[in-house]
Amino acid sequence: MEANGLSKSFRLGDGSIRVLADADIRLEEASSLSIQGSSGCGKTTLLNLLARLEKADAGTVSWDGRKMTASSSPSSRESVMRADFLGVVYQAYYLIPELNVLENILMAARLSSSVNRDSEDRARSLLSRMGVGDKAKQIPNKLSGGERQRVAIARALINKPRVLLADEPTGNLDERTGGQVMDLLMTACDEEKTGLILVTHNPIFAESADSRVFLKEGKLITDEEFEEIERKANDEEN
Amino acid sequence: MKVPWPLYLAWKQLFPSGKKVSFFSLLSIIGVALGVNVMIVVIAFMQGFQQKFRKDIINAQGHARVVPLKPYASWDKIPPRLRKIDNVVGVTPYLQAQLLLQSGNYHAIPFCMGLQPEDGDEVLPVDDFLKGGMLRLQAHDAEDVTPLPTMEMLEDDVVFLSSQTANRLGVRPSAVVQVYEANATLPESTEQSPVRVTRLDSYVESGEWELLFMPSEGSCVVRENVSGDEFVWEYEKGSLDLGFGYPVFEISQGADPFVAGDRFLFQVFKANKIEIFSPSMIDQAKADEMIPPREVRVGGIFEVPWQGFQMEALIGTMRFMADMRDQEGACDGFYLKFSGPVARNEVQLQKKCRELELVLEEDWAVVPWFVENAWFFELLKFEEYLMVLIMIPIGLVAAFAIAIALMTTVLRKIREIGLLIAMGGRRFSVGMVFCLQGFIIGGLGAVLGCGLALLFIRYREVIMTFIVERIAGSDGQAGVAQFYNFHSLEVPFPWESSESLSTFLSFALFAVLVSTVAGLLPALRATRLNPADSLRSE
Ligand SMILES: Nc1ncnc2c1ncn2[C@@H]1O[C@H](COP(=O)(O)OP(=O)(O)OP(=O)(O)O)[C@@H](O)[C@H]1O
Ligand SMILES: [Mg+2]
Repeated sequence: MEANGLSKSFRLGDGSIRVLADADIRLEEASSLSIQGSSGCGKTTLLNLLARLEKADAGTVSWDGRKMTASSSPSSRESVMRADFLGVVYQAYYLIPELNVLENILMAARLSSSVNRDSEDRARSLLSRMGVGDKAKQIPNKLSGGERQRVAIARALINKPRVLLADEPTGNLDERTGGQVMDLLMTACDEEKTGLILVTHNPIFAESADSRVFLKEGKLITDEEFEEIERKANDEEN
Repeated sequence: MKVPWPLYLAWKQLFPSGKKVSFFSLLSIIGVALGVNVMIVVIAFMQGFQQKFRKDIINAQGHARVVPLKPYASWDKIPPRLRKIDNVVGVTPYLQAQLLLQSGNYHAIPFCMGLQPEDGDEVLPVDDFLKGGMLRLQAHDAEDVTPLPTMEMLEDDVVFLSSQTANRLGVRPSAVVQVYEANATLPESTEQSPVRVTRLDSYVESGEWELLFMPSEGSCVVRENVSGDEFVWEYEKGSLDLGFGYPVFEISQGADPFVAGDRFLFQVFKANKIEIFSPSMIDQAKADEMIPPREVRVGGIFEVPWQGFQMEALIGTMRFMADMRDQEGACDGFYLKFSGPVARNEVQLQKKCRELELVLEEDWAVVPWFVENAWFFELLKFEEYLMVLIMIPIGLVAAFAIAIALMTTVLRKIREIGLLIAMGGRRFSVGMVFCLQGFIIGGLGAVLGCGLALLFIRYREVIMTFIVERIAGSDGQAGVAQFYNFHSLEVPFPWESSESLSTFLSFALFAVLVSTVAGLLPALRATRLNPADSLRSE
């Protein structure tokens, strides 16, 4: 997955704020990448652009070598492709309350039209790998936050996506549970050979990714560049 | 078979896993069902009334009437000519008259109709009307066992009166009551009485008939106590028929009078006479001729179920009417009855009437029943349209309720909608989820509503009796029944009549359509949502 020259500004009152300015990002096949950045710097916006849920002002996004203009709305073919190519996990779990855990996971399979007889077996095995194998028939409202996020991760993985976009998946969880969920997420992505773009505030989690970038002033910068800037800022203060 | 996901999700949102039903869907479906039920029942009943009125009208005046347009020489060649034509099953000539009836100090000027007794009830079921009007004598320890009069009893000096006319004049036909005390072992119900009166003509005299059975001789002594006349009846050889002016007695089938007893007592009351004056008598009176009024006997009392028929009416023979009008051999026209498609279909009937007019060389007009009673049918149709007009807004109100409920669901589920798109759902499909919910609610509601309507039609008697009793009380029920007779009302099931089927289908379809359209608005709302914004929404 790759994106080049992404720009995005939002209108705010009379003026506008520039959230992304000519940002480039590249995720190698089956590797993981963490994005850090201060709150409100545009991480969620970046993920939305990568998922083509929002139109950019400029730039391109390629999925699996398919290059798309980021400023257009996705065609219905791209929507269908999204179901197979991408998995998404958010801070909130967004489980459908009318469906039980298993049905929630299979819903993603239905959407990608890849649902078949093996889907249920796969859903069950993902659930047990996520440590909630016994909750298959439970309805989401009766699960704890951690359990819900595990189900959401299983749902994101059901279609064997090439890339999983995770936006602060542990944001609502306490440290211990968050750690467990993050471990499960990382392991699962490894096993499934799924690429992972992880947005997080937690440096420890960010550290465990194959590579690590920061979002600063609308651009993605590497570790070293970031530390450089930090150092300079500290120097100036002193 | 794979269910498309929007349908799956729509169904699941209405009937979530882990719960039997959701409150919202239950309420919406019941709402639609009640609406469909009410609409179908009202229209079906209206159609039932229409059918009943149609039948009553055709009974009272045939399918069509032939009336002369020009003076004619002789009419008796016409019925045979008409009878030869396909689908004509009955031709009955009639003659009307304006007559003044008098009995004691009471007068009546009924609508008078002359028929030929030999025509029987080929066109007009007079025998059935006579059943409806009979006035029963009330007696202590005795029961009115008068046999029902029939068209055969009509002759030149005998008339049938409508019950209103008979009441106004205070007259009744001959009657016979069976006195219970004569034999204590007689069963309480005359249905089982071993001895019955099977004919009582209009010329019988009042009297007391006593029947004494002689078991050993197989005969019965029949004595009339007023005159003292005595007859011997060998009852094993058949009924006792002493001729005109005497009641005819008969042993009921399989009955043995000696088991029950040996003595039976019947009280016979002779028929009242009325005097009749006609306009032609006035002319004669002006010419200073003294004409005595015509005296006739009351042969029976009738009631015509069609309310549009004159309440005050008299049926006599055609010859009697001609006599009273002083016009021998006159005829005012014919009543016609048809069979087959002509009888069932108004368009065909109209065509047939035209055909008959041509056969009769346009000297006669042939008027179908629905033309003669057009005002009444316009009224019924208008009522039906009005009902539909009232009910459509009710349907729309239900639709608004569904639309609002679904709209709230869309707002409540904004984030899930965003997620569905993020997971690869197309916006159109996401909209379909809500449209389909409307469709499912409409469909289930329509099915349930049709089911309820079927139940209602099946058990209409029980339900209506219950309702009418609550509203009108058990006394008022009789009055309601006179006009709205739910018992005899024919409300066909959809598999019995195409009209009923189309009523069911059109209201079911209406419900499905309206609910689906109600789902359209929220669906549109859902497709317009920006997924990124929906995912951000709180
Ligand atoms: N639809 C929108 N309209 C206007 N402004 C928006 C919109 N969406 C996001 N923004 C603005 O864009 C900026 C970036 O938002 P974004 O959600 O990407 O931040 P973030 O890095 O994910 O922050 P956090 O770490 O708190 O989740 C914010 O300042 C926000 O106010
Ligand atoms: Mg964010």
